Amino acid sequence: MSAPTLTPADAAETAAPTAASTLLRKLAATPEAGVVLACVVAFIWFSVAAPTYHNTANLQVMGRDLAQFGILAIGESFVILTGGIDLSVGGLAGLAGILAGWFNVTHGMPGPVAMLLTLLICAGVGWWHGTMVNKLNVPPFVITLVTFTICKGLALSITSGTPITGLSNLFGDLSLYYVGPVPIPAVIFLVVIVVAWFALERTYIGRQIYAVGGNAEAARLAGIPTRRRVTTTYVVSSTLAGLAGILIIGRLGVADPSVAGSGYELIAIAAAVVGGVSLFGGEGRIVGIAAGAILLELINNGLLALNVNEYYQTVAQGVVLGVAVLADRIRARYFGGNRR
Amino acid sequence: MTVEPTLEKSAPSLGRAVIARLRGVHKTYGPVRVLDLPELDLYAGQVVGVVGENGAGKSTLMGTLAGSVRRDAGEIEIDGQSLTPGSTAESARLGVALVSQEFPLVGQLSVAENLLLGQKPAGSRRRVLVDHPAQRQAAEAMLAAIGLAPNTIPVRRQVRTLPVPTRQLIEIAKGWGRDPKLLILDEPTSSLGPVEAQLVLDLARRAAEQGKAVLFIGHRLDEVREIADRVVVLRNGRLVADLTPEEASEDRLIREMVGNEVAHSEPKTAPASTPTLLEVSGLTADGLGPVDLTVREGEILGIAGLMGSGRSRLIHTIAGAQPATGGTMSLAGKAYAPKNAEQGTASGIALIPEDRKLQSLVLFAPIRDNVTVSVLRRISRRGILGPRKVRAEAVAITDNVKVRMQSVDQPIGSLSGGNQQRAIFGRAFAAEPRLLLLDEPTRGVDVGSKAQIYELIDRAAESGMAVVAASSELEELLWICHRIAVMHRGRVAAVLERADATKENIMTAAATGADPRQGPEARIDLNGTPT
Repeated sequence: MSAPTLTPADAAETAAPTAASTLLRKLAATPEAGVVLACVVAFIWFSVAAPTYHNTANLQVMGRDLAQFGILAIGESFVILTGGIDLSVGGLAGLAGILAGWFNVTHGMPGPVAMLLTLLICAGVGWWHGTMVNKLNVPPFVITLVTFTICKGLALSITSGTPITGLSNLFGDLSLYYVGPVPIPAVIFLVVIVVAWFALERTYIGRQIYAVGGNAEAARLAGIPTRRRVTTTYVVSSTLAGLAGILIIGRLGVADPSVAGSGYELIAIAAAVVGGVSLFGGEGRIVGIAAGAILLELINNGLLALNVNEYYQTVAQGVVLGVAVLADRIRARYFGGNRR
Repeated sequence: MTVEPTLEKSAPSLGRAVIARLRGVHKTYGPVRVLDLPELDLYAGQVVGVVGENGAGKSTLMGTLAGSVRRDAGEIEIDGQSLTPGSTAESARLGVALVSQEFPLVGQLSVAENLLLGQKPAGSRRRVLVDHPAQRQAAEAMLAAIGLAPNTIPVRRQVRTLPVPTRQLIEIAKGWGRDPKLLILDEPTSSLGPVEAQLVLDLARRAAEQGKAVLFIGHRLDEVREIADRVVVLRNGRLVADLTPEEASEDRLIREMVGNEVAHSEPKTAPASTPTLLEVSGLTADGLGPVDLTVREGEILGIAGLMGSGRSRLIHTIAGAQPATGGTMSLAGKAYAPKNAEQGTASGIALIPEDRKLQSLVLFAPIRDNVTVSVLRRISRRGILGPRKVRAEAVAITDNVKVRMQSVDQPIGSLSGGNQQRAIFGRAFAAEPRLLLLDEPTRGVDVGSKAQIYELIDRAAESGMAVVAASSELEELLWICHRIAVMHRGRVAAVLERADATKENIMTAAATGADPRQGPEARIDLNGTPT
């Protein structure tokens, strides 16, 4: 790929030909680069096509949307990195909202206590998923589908189908206030991104999660506690689902069992896949996942700004997913890492 | 570097009809040439034994004939008809049947359904519905055709409920039932007991008598010599010898298989009396034991034994990767009872498993991440890693074992097998283990790299590590080990000092379970019960 006369041994010694071409190759070989680029292109295009697109108010709307399924996407990606899948995140987010509201309004707990308890319960659900997957070898798809179904049902039974009103102001404040011009949910999303990035890239537990996802048997024989790592990812996913659920009810002002979290798990999975996460595990980075979530939001909101028929928006989402998968495969074919 | 082998050809063709004609058949994987056959003819009525070391090109040869491997160049004719490359359907149509070791049977279906997979029983009138009675009848006929007494294998049973040897027989019946012109048997007896093995050998002879061409890939030289009318030897993808059974003495075959590259053969002197590191007594596990063993610091103990004798199980049980069910172990005098591989690693044990792709590496991940897996915890500060530190560590690890690469950031899957294996050794060394456990340390590694890996093993022992190395290659064990424990049916049949460890002694113990030094009467006990 570099100068033609070099033997492999020489090539190992000499530095790469020019900095620029190395950078280009590196970019082309990185799956995340394409998604980030797509984000930039989409933003510029929509900004030109729809004048209201990039004003502060609309950006704030996007920030709040993003926080909801972006946080779910990050959690979901942890699980996918180990080669699993978590279908429960949408349902759990919905139930978490209802639980927080129920604790707060019906049981009279103060807002922070209700939130904390909700997050603890969600973490427990994640632990349960991990345990079932590890100990009884239940396929992740199945066990999380069970939870999804139960969550949907529980949300409706707790509330008898009617929204819980009269939430503590804390919920609304969380979702409606700003740090400077940035809505708090977007700030929380940013914090989640940074923490998740740090955990996966800079801690040994994170690197071990990649190892478990890349080759579980090799990880086991190398002495990595694979089960604990897998459980950790389910706990992360469920807890973040709880967080997203709390943000959702804050934004709505009521805990509505019919609205909260529906279908979010699929958007979360789509964001991860668009961002370059391999459903086989072991591959994908936080930068890409965040960019994947942002890209989906940019396009969704953009289509709205252009007054595109709502039904076609869903079609557009599907097309984006298809293009992302295709582009990733083509990239992998030409730049190695061709695994799936 | 490699000497061009000169082909010795002396096996007679005796004017028989040619069933398979191969000309200039060629296959490379990346830079590695795995098969290069200028000329090979297989004749009707002949059993051709194929022998060669691992990676000599045996499976590639079979694959190109059976269509599962697409040849890069060259012509193959089966009974005069040209064979399209890379199509199993086409190979089957022209009359090639491959009985492989990896039984492609559908576990959920019955024996009868498997035997007639993709075809309808002859004479059945039903067009849409399955004709179960006819299917069963046809299946029973197929099993009878290979010489099995009725009801030896129940044709209604689900295949997945049957043991491996039975599946092997089903696979053979399936191949036989196609009435092929060329029958390829890939180590067909490796999973069989003596009775079934004899049945298969008889079958191969019978096929030849019926005018078929038979390609018999053997793992046991005596078996190949017994059955073949002609023995061909492959080495590094080339045909290096084509011999009559008379010429094909065991010594000759081994010489041809190994080539001139036999190096490093001076017997080793055991290290001066060092303290015992690992002591195993009465150790049992699923399919293992009871086993008693000791290994001293700086010593290399080999584990020999036939396939399925428990070599890997012993290694994995010591490592904690397979639970022990009884017995005790101690490491440097302290009781050692690992519940899992994690505890084994924490006690200073490093395991290098036999299958790099499945058990050691994340192939698509960078070398950096692969080699530092064993030391992440040590090089992190309170769980947090610095990327520069990781990189520097990876460079140090790979330099230590001289991995040839462009950078530690390239995927480890892009390295050659030998380099991958060295990287794995580097990773194991980095954890600074007291005991190094090796399972098939040079599997799938080219001959040049083997010597380098032996050097690494020596280095480990000289630095004071105790090494336990299980291998199916006797030569390998004889080159590297101070002592050799021979396993037979999950037990240690004999522990041979270097001076006693001849090939003959090892094979005797491995095949019979008797200690060969206990006199001749022990050797003829073929039932495998040690006396």
